[in-house]
Amino acid sequence: MKRKRSYLVMTALALSLALVSAACAGGRNAGAGSGSGSGESLTGELVISGSSTVEPISVAVAEKFNAQHPDVNLSISGPGTSDGFEQFCSGETVISDASRAIEEEEIAKCEENGIEFIELHIATDGISVVTSVENDFATCLNYADLWALLGPESEGFDTWADANQLGKKYGGSAAPYPNEPLAVTAPGEESGTFGSFIEIVLESFVEDAGIAEYEEEVAPRPDYQASANDNVIIEGISGTPSSLGWVGFAFYVNNQDTVKALEIDGGDGCVAPTEETIASFDYPISRPLFIYVDAGRADDAEVEAFVDYYLSDEGIASATEVGYVAIPEEDLEETRSIWDERTTGTHVGE
Amino acid sequence: MARSEALTTSGAVAKNLRGQRIDVRGLLFEGALLLALLTSLLILLVLLYEVVAGGVSVLGERGGEFLQGRLSVVSAATAGVGQAILGSLMVSLIVIVFAFPLGIAAAVYLEEYAADTRFNRFITINIRNLAGVPSIVYGLLGLTIFVQLLGYFTGGKSVLAGGLTLAVLVLPIVIITSSEALRAVPDAIREAGIGVGATRWEVIRSHVLPSAAPGVLTGTILSLSRALGETAPLLIVGATTGFLAVGNVGFFDQFYGPYTTLPTVIFRWSSLPSGDFRSLTSAAIIVLLTLVLAANAIAIILRNRYEKKW
Repeated sequence: MKRKRSYLVMTALALSLALVSAACAGGRNAGAGSGSGSGESLTGELVISGSSTVEPISVAVAEKFNAQHPDVNLSISGPGTSDGFEQFCSGETVISDASRAIEEEEIAKCEENGIEFIELHIATDGISVVTSVENDFATCLNYADLWALLGPESEGFDTWADANQLGKKYGGSAAPYPNEPLAVTAPGEESGTFGSFIEIVLESFVEDAGIAEYEEEVAPRPDYQASANDNVIIEGISGTPSSLGWVGFAFYVNNQDTVKALEIDGGDGCVAPTEETIASFDYPISRPLFIYVDAGRADDAEVEAFVDYYLSDEGIASATEVGYVAIPEEDLEETRSIWDERTTGTHVGE
Repeated sequence: MARSEALTTSGAVAKNLRGQRIDVRGLLFEGALLLALLTSLLILLVLLYEVVAGGVSVLGERGGEFLQGRLSVVSAATAGVGQAILGSLMVSLIVIVFAFPLGIAAAVYLEEYAADTRFNRFITINIRNLAGVPSIVYGLLGLTIFVQLLGYFTGGKSVLAGGLTLAVLVLPIVIITSSEALRAVPDAIREAGIGVGATRWEVIRSHVLPSAAPGVLTGTILSLSRALGETAPLLIVGATTGFLAVGNVGFFDQFYGPYTTLPTVIFRWSSLPSGDFRSLTSAAIIVLLTLVLAANAIAIILRNRYEKKW
């Protein structure tokens, strides 16, 4: 009796083996066939990867696209911009999400594998440095101020005045600071906004000021109230009159009654974050978000339909829905014409 | 003494032998051990409480819809773990089909056929070492071999590639646990079989394997729950994190397509800024824990049911 039972289990194992070998025999090439035809019968497969910052935009677009074309297989991942280009330039993905322009090395790798790309600017990400609406002393900060108050050297500063020495040393425009408590609330390191703040503010300041100690790696002061929930950050900022922190632009916009955004001087004078200044990059802490499309597959029916939809009014609205700043009409027109004409190569810096 | 009712017979005997009423040092040691146990239990309880408190509302409000829902990093209100559960099950199936037969066969060879040479001992030691290699290393191995080198057969970043990577990951564990189960079968059984004229294979087939089966099963199912919880290697071999739509392919074809698994989804959701995804993360953890506990329960039931006492 007992032996029979054991055999039963063995048979079950053998059965599942047979099941999968059957799958192996039948399966190859499924989903690899590119879509043909148009409209409802659209099929095919789209593999998208790249920046985790852009991922939500692509996912929002994909959700709407999927409702119209349920037979197009979609897979979207967000391992990071660099990983995304690695896969894109070896032909694994059709579209690469990117929170920065493609770099020389990555272009070289793409060329090596014969992959040409179409660069499409789809949205802009802006970071607002915020304080409470009751704060009456701070209006404009430059990068040196931000370094003195939020940078790694500011660890342990409990009041704004504690940063006076640092602020003076590096040329902070708002120094000397008042003797008010410095309550910092900002995103935790898992957030894309945390990464953007490091990249745009701290890293560029380290480079400009030539602080050798932080050239390899730089992070904000570790002793602040970190939260992954932007709404918690807004609460923390509004709770103390002399608070300081940063959030994605969308969160500042939705909470203007309790928090106030500081103007930022990136070297060309104080600029307040608004949709216009972020979209035009006059506001220093902003960066463009892109998708890169494999030019060799751009004319496949499913790729064409997806990108067409991405750039349509309905598709591109996803960017603002998930919290980013829409690009101005003329930039959108340019993006659309780059796509329509399938213009390859990078246009950043032109 | 409040403890008197807890004293066991052996405790009473020891006390009489030593001629003292209270064994102070013994009590202190016992207390320290108990404290160690309670500390680990407390940590576990806090963890469970955190997860359940965070996720139970989602499961309660959305229930079946959450269990069937689609992966998303945008729409917290409709996102769910349906695709992730399916993906985890498909990956597990691959592990069962590839790692179990291979691992059990290797164990039978090592225990029943291989001579006790220096070379074979070297192999056994290395299998044990392999079981301790960090999973991320297996992820890189899987990326090179199953995704890139054998990409034509596996379909690249597919369920098959992910499942094979995990199969390789648990293979040493399967071999070790199966070996131990085989070793637990008394030699008298083998000798008796050979003594009545059976060949080695006949003895293994009719006596050793059936006797070892419960132990082998327990070990393999436990290794399956290890595979169920792995995240790092799957992220490397390309489990999808953001959005997944596999509308127009049959069940078997899905093995060649993109996928996502529960731990991958938990990892991605936990890094999203919105608070809604926090509770979704907890809910997904509850689902994963349930799956793993179910697998372990099956292992325990099978062991209790078929276990032989010698």
